Amino acid sequence: MGIKPMVITLIVLSLWVGAAAAAVASPSPMETVRERIDQVIAVLNDPAGADSAHRAAQRDRLWEIASPMFDFVEISRRTVGPKWQEFSDDEKARFTDVFTRFLGNTYLDRVQGEYQNEKIEYVQELVREPLALVRTKLVREAVEMPIDYRMRQTDGQWKIYDILVENGVSIVQNYRVQFQSILQKESPAALIQRLEQRLEEQGR
Amino acid sequence: MTKPISLKAVLIAICLVALLSGCAGHRTKGPSDPTAAPAPTPTGVALSTADETTPPAGSDDMSLWEDDLDWNDEGAGVFYTVADPLEPFNRTMFVFNDKLYFWVLKPVAQGYRFAVPRPARSGVRNFFNNLGAPIRIANNILQGRFQTAEAEVARFLFNSTVGVLGFGNPAADVEGLNPEPTDLGLTLGHYGIGNGFYLVWPVLGPSTLRDSAGYFGDRWLNPTIYIDPIEASLAVFALRSINTVSFHIGDYEAIKSAALDPYQAMRDAYIQLRRSKLR
Repeated sequence: MGIKPMVITLIVLSLWVGAAAAAVASPSPMETVRERIDQVIAVLNDPAGADSAHRAAQRDRLWEIASPMFDFVEISRRTVGPKWQEFSDDEKARFTDVFTRFLGNTYLDRVQGEYQNEKIEYVQELVREPLALVRTKLVREAVEMPIDYRMRQTDGQWKIYDILVENGVSIVQNYRVQFQSILQKESPAALIQRLEQRLEEQGR
Repeated sequence: MTKPISLKAVLIAICLVALLSGCAGHRTKGPSDPTAAPAPTPTGVALSTADETTPPAGSDDMSLWEDDLDWNDEGAGVFYTVADPLEPFNRTMFVFNDKLYFWVLKPVAQGYRFAVPRPARSGVRNFFNNLGAPIRIANNILQGRFQTAEAEVARFLFNSTVGVLGFGNPAADVEGLNPEPTDLGLTLGHYGIGNGFYLVWPVLGPSTLRDSAGYFGDRWLNPTIYIDPIEASLAVFALRSINTVSFHIGDYEAIKSAALDPYQAMRDAYIQLRRSKLR
């Protein structure tokens, strides 16, 4: 008879311990971003990656570090906007895949090609669960560029779903404007094909 | 005698267009800062001022959530955008500015960047930013932002003296002396005047009807337009543009390569940027 309360106690206890462990294990939004960006900068500063022979390896390493920061499904959904409902499951998956690679290529090119000892200042962290805003500044030469990360918490993990530059220019909205105008005239499949074409042009 | 006169007429015509917007470099380079922006800091040193220059936390920061809520609530795909009835003309101007950047502005700015060391370029930038103080002071007053106007006056005095005619920017390290820049376009927006429609100027780049009107008004407070002869005034304008671009080589290229339709990407970036300054 005394076994039932004990089982319940055990379950409650394990849940509690589990929750506590999760709380300890999941870093804050700013910590999440800072940790990854620090690693990215460390890789960029590593002279081993400087010569062209190791460029591809460096690129893979950067992608490995940076990509888990982002929620690419959410990014895809938001850039497409309400038309997302008109995408079939297959189209959603293909779009997410091709857009992820497109973003990856575009921004890795930039990071790899133009890194000049930029410094990141971590300015502020605003949390309103499940959303958060991490405000940073990129300092290059004598120019500062505010970069803010919009993040969402899923399964205890904070992931970026939009980036704001210059205090409020949303990258997601910028793509949404472009995609929307394509989708007004063309099918989801055509949009996917255009992105694939751009990927080919990028040569990857 | 007729020859120099016609040359002058052409120069005046170019200058009129040019002066509608005081800083071509800012506009053609991308969404970095279309206003006569003072440099927030001349170096990355002013770490401590980062927080203070942001207006008291709360409403302003929270406004950055806006889009998110919009999207979730409506789901109708409504987002802030701008009318573009002149799109064919604008696209032509966009292509013109694109060529101008790659064929002229960029190579010249690269050479300039190579020849002129960074401190000197920062000095030039600071100097022109300092000259923009009257515009910012007047517009802050027009918007009823007297404290910000005061900060602009204080910075102007400080940088003009301690900063040696504005070539230095010692105010960057002083708390409360780094107000956000403003202009007449923003003043008009402050009083509820909308963008009107999107407009791409040759040389000057993205603007709107409202912001063009703002530029036309602001230019009266820009000392460099009163330089005589007009050729010298244009040379000053060119120097400022080249100097600005020298800090931003690669930015426009990045926007372009990241876009499916660079024209739309620039238009949206401009509109979003101006709106964020109105918040």
